[in-house]
Amino acid sequence: MNTSQNSLSEALQGWRVKPPADPGFRQGVWRRIGEKAEPAWPGYIRAHAPSLAAAAFLAAGAAAYTGSVMAHSQVRADREAIVVAYLMDLDPRAQAALKP
Amino acid sequence: MRLIPGIAAIIALLAAGAGFAGYSLSRDPALHAAAAKGDTMEWLRADFHLTGAQLAEVRRLHDSYAGSCQEHCRMIQEMTHARDELREAHGDKAALDAANARLEKMRAACEGAIAEHVRRVAALMSPEDGRRYLALVVPRIANFDHAGAPDLRLNRPN
Repeated sequence: MNTSQNSLSEALQGWRVKPPADPGFRQGVWRRIGEKAEPAWPGYIRAHAPSLAAAAFLAAGAAAYTGSVMAHSQVRADREAIVVAYLMDLDPRAQAALKP
Repeated sequence: MRLIPGIAAIIALLAAGAGFAGYSLSRDPALHAAAAKGDTMEWLRADFHLTGAQLAEVRRLHDSYAGSCQEHCRMIQEMTHARDELREAHGDKAALDAANARLEKMRAACEGAIAEHVRRVAALMSPEDGRRYLALVVPRIANFDHAGAPDLRLNRPN
């Protein structure tokens, strides 16, 4: 028993692991680190380009339409107000009604 | 994901820019300024593309019309007072009817005078602008009397 233990111990002491060198190991590690640490903006945008473009197009279109409707509404209100003021200047009936 | 709020903010900014552009392209700053000031001559100049000479001629027409307008105004007031006195006195119905008829006739004459005046103004404009001016003003002339005094939202200079 002692003899076999000694031989095992000697075998273990003499055992050296010599794996074959992997020339791409470091590059592989850095590549994987890079994939994890990438800011992801470009990657995310590239990956979701169609849906992001559609969302941006819809939002911008809706906003532009809303802005245009608001401006047209303002133009209508302004024109109505100025036409009333104009007719007030021209119309003796309205002026007579307003004078005491 | 942390990127989504950032992307949403960018899209919101883009939409805000598009909204502002849509508003800016569709608004009419000259009309708005004229309405804010109650400057009807500036409105005519800007909205109907009047040249300096056309605007001067429109001013001349308005000035010459103003005299008859004031006279019509005075006559309407007098006729209205006379009619109201008859009505309050509960007097002769025939006299009251006659007073009402005189008043209506004067109002119709006023309406005709305004219509004639705006046609003269329209004749000074380009055909397209003249048509647009008449389409805007003429339908309101008849309704103006029946609608009563309009609300005076404008800070009018005079």
